Parts: sequence; structure tokens; C-alpha cells
Amino acid sequence: MSLMAAQGVGWKPEGRQVLGPLDLEVRRGECLALVGPNGAGKTTLLRLLAGLLSPDQGELSFEGTPYSSLERRSLARRVAYVPQLRPASVPFTVRELVLQGRYPHLSRFRLALSTEDIAAVEEALERTGTGHLAERPVDRLSGGERQSVYIAAALAQQSAVLVLDEPTTYLDAGHQRDVCALLARLHREAGQTIVLATHDLNFASTLADRIAALVCGTLLACDTPERILVPELLGRVFQAPFTVVAGGPRPVTLLALPS
Amino acid sequence: MKPGAKLGLLLGLWLLALAAGTLLGGQSLSLGSALAGEPTAAAILWQLRLPRALLALLAGGVLALSGLSFQSVFRNPLAEPYTLGVAGGAALGAVLALVAFPQAALVGVGIASFLGALAATAVVVGLSFRREGLETSTLLLAGVAISVSSSALILFLEFFADPHRTFQIVRWLMGGLAVVGYREVLWLAPFALAELLLLLALRWELNLLLTGEETAAARGVDVGRTRLLMLAGVSLAVGAVVAVAGPIGFVGLIVPNALRSRLGPDHLHLIPASLLAGGAFLALCDLGARTLLAPAELPVGVLTAAAGGPFFLWLLLRRR
Repeated sequence: MSLMAAQGVGWKPEGRQVLGPLDLEVRRGECLALVGPNGAGKTTLLRLLAGLLSPDQGELSFEGTPYSSLERRSLARRVAYVPQLRPASVPFTVRELVLQGRYPHLSRFRLALSTEDIAAVEEALERTGTGHLAERPVDRLSGGERQSVYIAAALAQQSAVLVLDEPTTYLDAGHQRDVCALLARLHREAGQTIVLATHDLNFASTLADRIAALVCGTLLACDTPERILVPELLGRVFQAPFTVVAGGPRPVTLLALPS
Repeated sequence: MKPGAKLGLLLGLWLLALAAGTLLGGQSLSLGSALAGEPTAAAILWQLRLPRALLALLAGGVLALSGLSFQSVFRNPLAEPYTLGVAGGAALGAVLALVAFPQAALVGVGIASFLGALAATAVVVGLSFRREGLETSTLLLAGVAISVSSSALILFLEFFADPHRTFQIVRWLMGGLAVVGYREVLWLAPFALAELLLLLALRWELNLLLTGEETAAARGVDVGRTRLLMLAGVSLAVGAVVAVAGPIGFVGLIVPNALRSRLGPDHLHLIPASLLAGGAFLALCDLGARTLLAPAELPVGVLTAAAGGPFFLWLLLRRR
């Protein structure tokens, strides 16, 4: 069942075709990972899916409703986005930041928060395991904690789809594992639909139901991890030699570095 | 202390500034005789000091609200109508109107000053607009450029105006609340109220913009429309202040930054606090301007600038 669909979608700033035109669907309850080299258009595709960019070609739709007919706030109730690049410093505490995820549900004319808003914030803090950080300033958190907090804010948005841009980049191994466990829990236990971009193929392999491989703005293939994570395809995508260890629950890729 | 209690304290300060601005001054005044209807005392109290104190409270509030809004919209603590050249543009518009139509009414000067403010905002924002968003370092440079150009054009206009007019313009440019009656108070009040309501209506958007454009947009904020509304609303209000009081600088810089370190980043508290504290600050500065060299009177802009320069430096040093 298709939840989001991109049909013939392209992004062409100043006449230069950066992405597409391509077709892509996101199914309800799946985890879709975008992989590909730097500059392949992963972030652009995520921003198009999140409605932060309007496509120059084609059309995006959510459950059949075109994005162009949805207001920004109502789109934000359907899709939540966690960008990779964020200001180095924000002046808020964790709870204040997570509360801002309620923005698309808030009324401009009410000064007090509704019980639903407060409950959604508490639930988001609890599900991401960040409840104990609630009163801490966001600026004083470690990289991994900060990523969890931004995910909590996106969860408080209560959108059908969670879109994340490189959620494990800049994190050490332990924190990568924490974020991976958090997303796996959201996806498998709560059936959260997730779309993410990553450079970590094993992270994609562990989490994703399907992997989409992007090269120079074109969708080369989109299939299960077993079909995408094969040496021949990875060689074409990244122009680098990979070894793939099959046999486990999910394929594991090893990059051969020049000796 | 809870934010509500802090707002209560600020309201107390506001009322104190109103009382001090009305009761104190170069001329000693007996409240009893004024209330008893003694003509000179009553005239000083009701026709000179009260409207002047009220205007200072309103103008200071508008300037602080404008600074608060610019600092959040541009994510830069140094942004305010004065540093971004908006006050300079407004002054240029007003001086143009004063030179071209010496008999121009307050409304006419107000409209010219609003158009000047809007033009300056449009140029400054236009220059720093990139496809990825606003570049805030360019913003401040563009603001300086606009301020300097406006000053140059104003000097040019003064050169051609008759000497009496020039003296008036120079005094007005220093920023002052000297020649004021209830007409000016009634003129400014609706703008102050409108700006307050606009900011309160957009308080969530202002909070969200502090987390960056991308995150704000992802939460559902229409960043472009929010900025446009804010810039137009603030330009209108700054234009209205400049038309009656000249370009008074640094209130918008000092007050919101000082409040942020006490009240935190939530605009729900910062907005009413800025209105109150900005008003009280300007009213007390005006009291100083009237009394420090009494019976002579300093333009209030001289005092706010004297406080603002060192504060600006302190902000720069603290950011390192």
C-alpha cells in the first residue's frame, strides 16, 4: 500500500538537472533507506519528500493528495523531517525543543497547551529514552543524545512518516548503535514508516525493508537489502570494491581499502 | 522566580517609570498644587510631562519589540532596527517629506518614514538573500551600508534646506521626545498595539526560527511568509516611532538581549517583557535627558546611544 508517491519528480535549479526525473513510492509501515555517493541527490530527495522543496518537474502525493494542495502545517502533520545540518547552538531545553514538534497541532489563539500536547511530548521523550534529559539545555548534550532529542521532537509531531537525513553521521560507534536501536524499535514495534538517507550500508541493511540506490540524481535500483547489497551493484554505485558477507539475517558489506 | 513573577516585576518597573517621568523633571513640581488645579503646575503635569512619559513608554516598547523580532527572525543578537539600517531608512523618508513639504502633517511624515523603513528593509534583506536562506553576516554589513547611505543623503538634503529647517532636522535626528502632546501618543498607540498582537500571534514561529530555518520549516512553519509579515509589521511600527521621535538607537539592542539572559528564550514571556522593559528604559533615559543638564535638555538618543555603544561591545566580546 503506497503512502507517499513521487511521480516523475525532478529538481532542476538554474537549468541544471540535479535530481530525477524519478518515480518512487514509500509504503505504509516500511523503512526505506537511500544510499549513494556524495552529491547523488539523497538530501534533495528527502527534502522533496518532506515538502521543504517544491519539485521543478513531476508531482508528489500523500495518500493520493498532491503536496501542492496541502498547506505547510497540514503536510507537517503527515511528514516529520530531521535534517542533518542544524544550528550549532539553540537556546532551548530538551523539553522546549520537543514541545516545538507540536507546532502543526497548536492553535495560535490559545496561550495554554492542551493535555494532548503535553501527553505527546511525554510520550516522545519516553519512547526515545530522553525523559531524564528533559530539563537539560540542548547545547549541553552529546551528539548521540542530541540526535535522539531531535527524533523525539519529530515524534511529538505525530506524523505518519519520519524522514531522517544521515541520522548516524558524526556519531561514535556506541551512539550509532543507540540511534540504530531507537529507530529499529520505532519501526518494528510501533510500525513507524521511516525514510532515511545514510552512508552506512550496514546500518541501512539492518534497518531497511528496501534500499534505494541513487547515482548522479538517478534512481539506479530500489529493492530488498539482499538484492541491493551485492558487490557488482555497489561497485557501480560507489566506484569502489566491496565484499559482501551473506548468510546472516542481513547482508554485511566490507569496503576493500587500498593497501 | 517564575516568569509570571518576573513579568509582574517588570510591570512594577513600568509603572514606576511612568510615575517618575510624570512627577520628576527640571522644574520642581508640587503634585498637590497640580491636582488642586494650580494652572502652571497642572499644565506642566498634564500637558507636558504625562504625554511625554506615555510617548516614551510606547516608543521604547515598540523599539524593544522590533529588536526582539529582528534578533529572532535573523538569528543574530546584534540585529535591531538601528543596526540593520531600518531606522536610517525611516529617517531618510521622514527628512525627505519634511524638506519637500515643510507643512507636512504627522500622518504624511509617518507614511514617508514607513516607506523609508520598508525600502531599507527590502534592500538589506534582498542583498543578503541566498537560495539556501538568509546570510546573517551580510545582513549586518548591508545594514551598515544602508545607514551610512541614508545619513549621507540626509546631509545632502540638509545642505539644500533653509538653515532654520536644518537645525530642526538635526535636533530631530538625535532622537528626542521634546515637542510632544497627546496627538503623538494617540498616533503611536495603535502601532504599538498592532505590533504587540502580531508578535504574540507569531510567538511559536519566532521560537521555532531560533532552531534554524530547516527545522522550523520541517515543523510546518511557513518561513517566508513569517519573515515577510514580521519585516513589514516591524517596519511599519519603526516608521511610526521615527516619525514622532527621530531615530532612537540601541533600545532594541539592549533591552531584548538583557531580558533573554533573565527570562530564557520563550517569546511568550519575552514579548510582553520587551514591551514593558523597553518602555521603562526609554522613559527613564528621557527623564535623565531632561534633568541631567537642567534647565538644558539633552536629546534622549544621545543617552541611549551612550549606553548602547558599550553594550554592543560587551555583546561582541561575550560571543567570542
